[in-house]
Amino acid sequence: MHQTRVLIVDDELIIRESLAGWLERDGHHIMTAESGEKCIEILKNQSFDILLVDIKMDGISGMDVLKHVKEYYPDIDVIMITAFGSIPSSVEAMKAGAYDYLLKPFDPNELGVLIEKLTDHQSRKRENQYLKEEFKERSRFESMIGQSDAMQEIFKLIQDIQETKSTVLITGETGTGKGMAAKAIHTSSPLKEGPFVSVNCGAIPEQIMESELFGHQKGAFTDAKETKKGRLEMACGGTLFLDEIGEISMRMQIDLLHVLEERVFYKVGGTQPITANFRVVAATNSNLEKAIQERTFREDLYYRLNVIALTMPPLRKRKEDIPLLANHFLHKFVQEINKPVERISREAMDELMLYNWPGNVRELSNAVERAVVVCRSHTIEAMDLPIVSPECTGLNTPSVPGHPSVKTLNDLEKHHIFNILNENEWNIARSAASLGIDRSTLYSKIKRYDLQKNISDS
Amino acid sequence: MNNTIGKLPFILVSPTEGIDPALAENISEAVGDFFGYPVKVSPLLQNIDFAFNSDRNQYNSTIILASLADLAPERCLKILAITDKDLFIPILTHVYGEAQLNGIACIVSINRLNTDLQLSKKKVFERIIKESIHELGHTFNLRHCKDHSCIMHYCRSLDDVDLKSNQYCRYCEVLLSDAIISLSRDPIS
Ligand SMILES: [Zn+2]
Ligand SMILES: [Zn+2]
Repeated sequence: MHQTRVLIVDDELIIRESLAGWLERDGHHIMTAESGEKCIEILKNQSFDILLVDIKMDGISGMDVLKHVKEYYPDIDVIMITAFGSIPSSVEAMKAGAYDYLLKPFDPNELGVLIEKLTDHQSRKRENQYLKEEFKERSRFESMIGQSDAMQEIFKLIQDIQETKSTVLITGETGTGKGMAAKAIHTSSPLKEGPFVSVNCGAIPEQIMESELFGHQKGAFTDAKETKKGRLEMACGGTLFLDEIGEISMRMQIDLLHVLEERVFYKVGGTQPITANFRVVAATNSNLEKAIQERTFREDLYYRLNVIALTMPPLRKRKEDIPLLANHFLHKFVQEINKPVERISREAMDELMLYNWPGNVRELSNAVERAVVVCRSHTIEAMDLPIVSPECTGLNTPSVPGHPSVKTLNDLEKHHIFNILNENEWNIARSAASLGIDRSTLYSKIKRYDLQKNISDS
Repeated sequence: MNNTIGKLPFILVSPTEGIDPALAENISEAVGDFFGYPVKVSPLLQNIDFAFNSDRNQYNSTIILASLADLAPERCLKILAITDKDLFIPILTHVYGEAQLNGIACIVSINRLNTDLQLSKKKVFERIIKESIHELGHTFNLRHCKDHSCIMHYCRSLDDVDLKSNQYCRYCEVLLSDAIISLSRDPIS
């Protein structure tokens, strides 16, 4: 959900509570920390959009928190909470990268304006990222590949449902190819001549979501200079693929439910009903049953979507497909980059088979692409793979580079994540992208493996 | 007090001292029409001096809400307190009202709603009703709404309050009915 995530750091309980209460009523997701130490701890495992930090705290001061955040999580906007006596240090904080500061007690209007400005700023960032990723996504996977039983079952299910136009809910971890499955469902369905329109619900900022989906009438709002078709209208006669449906806002859930129930919708600012004659295929990597319990996902919408359920297997459960996939990606990238790489060595393939692939097919694709780039001969060797980089040092467990047989799969994964983090200077967004997993998954893995930035390189 | 309510769950309107009983009655009528629940008027907490903060010369609304929740009578779904005192929460300079999100108690202050002596009584009453339904909305788990005409919109100025309608938008309407349905499923003990 595109709720703005705010972390309040203040040593005064009453300030934490009253600020949290106000911001919760304002619709944001709030966490609190009673000290700078606690804040830094929380940031290791969870991501936030905005930090409200008391400038004066015992122990790690607000200023130190600010510096830490600007170094390790530059995407987070920091607002300093200031008392009358500490205005000079607030000015200093602004120089050190704070977005703004607020004087205690806050004027509710000032706080409101500031939070609104920041959420706008954050969603514009998301919009840019969305446009970039959309482009990347389009140039990737075209077909589903797999001879494993798990994949054969998927193919069979898609065949079984080819006569229907029922709604399908695809679940599965990130990178398992849910988008490809949706495309396959479309191309084998009676709607195959119609359009296949994809919407990444997790990436579109909420402000533009409504008009993206439903389109708008000229003049419906300030930016609506022309009448525009939405994705729903574009999907008419075909399939509407709603990726990351678990991320969709409560408002859009209400609207979508209405469309699925009434089979009709309107442009924003429009009065002409448009018939919703498209099939909906939705996908998610999140646990919707849990979201329903937490009341962040509507049960009625879930049942509308989950008419046919399809679960994509993770790559580690269909390892026999790895050689096929790896060779497919090899040929694809060799053509793209135009490099005379011909094969993957036996040892390298063994590495690929041993590795756990938390980012699934997408991570495998990234790994092969990288190997093609760094490879210096006609054959990809184990050392070309990002999963067994020889220069790795500093992990707590004894490691024997190049000899993965002495390690467990988890060791390999830990190792690999650690290397990628170091390569990217612990920039979480970049590391997650290169691993082909999302940021929250990366955070949980960093936590699970207890990975830390400052391990001496002994 | 209204005895026809019987065993039905109800909303309680609780005026503090200084509030005209006729105003409390009018509020209860409007709230009853709006939510479709029976409404009782009863001064649950007349004196709120315990919440007075002499440094700020204002009343801490969070403390008042906690006391109201403790005093809630049986079958009382929600409590709406009305006061003429100026309210604050510790981090903010002032609030028009406060509510326990998805809780039982809320409070509205008429102190800042009637600043202009030129204003008609009707206009002031409209503001009080809008704020009351807004705060009650929070107790039904509604958060602020970005729709400027929705009653759950957080208004920065009284002009904005006057501009917004006295209705929930279609989204908040759905969320309110969700909350009411879930209340009827597992009623408060
Ligand atoms: Zn409110
Ligand atoms: Zn609303």
